[in-house]
Amino acid sequence: MARIAFAWELGGEYGHAMACAWLASALQSRGHTIAFMFRELRQLTMLPETAAFDIFQAPRAAREGEVAVSPASYADILLGSGYADAKELTALLVGWRSLLEGWRPDLVVADFAPTALLAARSLDLPRVTFGNGFFVPPPVSALPAFRYDETIAPERIAAADASALASANAALAAVGMPPLARLCDQFDADEHFLCTFPELDHYQNRPASGYWGPRFRLDRGLNIEWPDGQGKRIFVYVKRTLPQLDTLIDYLAATPHRIVAFIPDLEEPRRARLAARRRVVAERPVRLDLLMRQCDLIICHGGEIAAGALLRGVPQLVFPTHYEQYLTARRLEQVGSGVWLSPAAAAGDVAGAIEHVLREPRFPAAARAFARHYAAYSPEEQRRRIIRRMEEILAARGAALPPTGAPPILTPTSTGEEAPR
Amino acid sequence: MARILFAWEFGGDLGHVRRLLPIARELRRLGHEAAFVFRDLALLGAHAGEGFEWFQAPLLRLPPLQNASPLSPSDVLLNLGYADAAGITGALFGWRGLFALWQPDLVVADYAPGALLAARMCVVPTAAVGSGFSLPPTGAPLAAYRDWIRVEPEVLQRLDGRLLATVSKAFQNVHAASPPGAARELFAGDVNLVCSFPELDPFGPREGVEYLGPIADAISGREVAWNTQERPRIFAYLKPRDARFVPLVTALREVAGEALVAAPGLTDAQARELSTDRVRVFAEALNLDAALGSSDLCISHAGPGVASRAILAGVPLALLPMQLEQFLVARRLRSAGAADFISPDDPPPDFAAWLTAIAQRAELREGARALSRAHQGYDFGHAAARAAQRIAQALPA
Repeated sequence: MARIAFAWELGGEYGHAMACAWLASALQSRGHTIAFMFRELRQLTMLPETAAFDIFQAPRAAREGEVAVSPASYADILLGSGYADAKELTALLVGWRSLLEGWRPDLVVADFAPTALLAARSLDLPRVTFGNGFFVPPPVSALPAFRYDETIAPERIAAADASALASANAALAAVGMPPLARLCDQFDADEHFLCTFPELDHYQNRPASGYWGPRFRLDRGLNIEWPDGQGKRIFVYVKRTLPQLDTLIDYLAATPHRIVAFIPDLEEPRRARLAARRRVVAERPVRLDLLMRQCDLIICHGGEIAAGALLRGVPQLVFPTHYEQYLTARRLEQVGSGVWLSPAAAAGDVAGAIEHVLREPRFPAAARAFARHYAAYSPEEQRRRIIRRMEEILAARGAALPPTGAPPILTPTSTGEEAPR
Repeated sequence: MARILFAWEFGGDLGHVRRLLPIARELRRLGHEAAFVFRDLALLGAHAGEGFEWFQAPLLRLPPLQNASPLSPSDVLLNLGYADAAGITGALFGWRGLFALWQPDLVVADYAPGALLAARMCVVPTAAVGSGFSLPPTGAPLAAYRDWIRVEPEVLQRLDGRLLATVSKAFQNVHAASPPGAARELFAGDVNLVCSFPELDPFGPREGVEYLGPIADAISGREVAWNTQERPRIFAYLKPRDARFVPLVTALREVAGEALVAAPGLTDAQARELSTDRVRVFAEALNLDAALGSSDLCISHAGPGVASRAILAGVPLALLPMQLEQFLVARRLRSAGAADFISPDDPPPDFAAWLTAIAQRAELREGARALSRAHQGYDFGHAAARAAQRIAQALPA
């Protein structure tokens, strides 16, 4: 049985920890030994199954994101996370190498973990990527822009790529390893578990790729039923720091809609304003799969829940708070299943946007069409296939495998006899 | 030979790394193995060639609201993430993972309460090192930092209690027995080494601690010579992000015969723009001993590193502390008669007048020289060797 290390280096919130925990616990029950090398560890208290894993803090740039630039490419993200300074990157790389040399994984699973990939490469360890489109850049040089809201000068993209590459190569040299020819070589892996649908891929310009379908968990959390009543059913999952939250609360409280809301750490006065017989304000994460069967609208920030809602045919109003969520919001807009409001949107726009999505039949129609197209998609089956592929890679023990990136996306025609019952 | 893990969890700047590196080198020279677990690894990047292993220390999430004037060491930890049981739980998982991986025989904690807690869980002996701020007197409740302001013991007790309660909750979460029963256990090791002079110790002078003296690796900064014989010669080591930085540099043009200003964090262009013939500003660290050797006045934020070099050189100080530890060090130096300071809360004065007055105060010069004489012959390298010996003695037989 194998030793499998999950590395999560960049990003935030619960999505990474939850998706890794779900995959890892299945791997563990098959007899593998698991380590989590994570950028944030406090989420693990919510995931009791991780208590059986070896837990480590991932190396993290102390001044991450201090240079406030809106990133245009993966290279920009790297430059904001230690790659602007070759010495700092050397320190992070050595930190990863110490962990990997000490724990000796047979396979590294990188979830938004570029430096972990670099370290695994430098130690010649089998490795895979695991994450949505934002976390795995297309394998082209220079790493392409992911922005399409404005034109990005190609020189800017090339300069950022060259600068991150220079740091990566200096760090590799410091540990006695040969340089990368191209920055995108840093992401070379035995497999890319690109966990999204092409329609939701953050990179619209990705060359033909294998899509494994999104990773999300909707079957965990507090079991809550829709309150009785006649109003529309709206699920709200936003942060309490949402600038328009007070407007949203006051609007919802003034309508006949039925509400289930999870707003982490919501202050008591605001909770009291929202909560009522028709409006449940949950204290803990809510189990969504059952609620979504009868849901008219989800109000959220984007992220993995957006893909889950789409698969259940539920329209969305999205408040993206960072660039990854913004790109997801734009893709949902293209799918036609929702609208989004920027954090800077006027409070007055909130009610209009909600009524608009609830009134226009084209939103649920588009969401349901998407759901029908991927009706056979099953997260359980996705996990089963990922595990099977991982075990193939492990069995090969570094020997050459068939080319990576075979497109195993789960559509009605591709699932065949493996379709979930 | 033993495996010794060096942990640094809180506190910024270069001081912790520059203290721990030479001690680790000495222990290695004695035949032991050393590895680092640091909050900020960046500073180690330049030392990749030395072959040390290092790891990221588990990180906590800062509370959304910061208490601007924490009362006691427990209060400071609550402000640094120790009010969040989930965060501490995650960190304890991480520390325990590292201990299982690296199997230390002894842990050296430099402001590293998480490492001390993990050592407690895993029954590993500990040595605590620090410049004084992170090694409070071990009474209960833990003492207030500002001994000139009356704080009811119940208030301090409550702060210790809150700290212990969240830590206990986290111990429960990771199924660890015997959580600490007193707040001092998050600060003190089996051996405690105050790597400072009593005159710089925020809690000093005190009985019952071992003052090893400041430890810092060899100065690698650029050596710059004075251009003229003009007096006063003023050396400044400042953070350009301090709002008082530019007004101070401007005042130096008026006050200094000649001035050297080290301001890492500036760009070269900014440094050039601020420089004049007599006031040269550098965007990098300078060799402190060379610059201080013939200075008449040293301006700094009262970080223990620069302050101890100034003391040894017998140079009086004009101090602009930016945070609590520096403020406490500045108070100590003023009461030792070698410095004056402006508190972070004070409105900025007329810097030219302030500096002129300090430069003319003969009693400050005399006070600084007296301190220098008291520590004559002090050697940073010897202090590191002594610390290494004391740590080696704490190893289990």
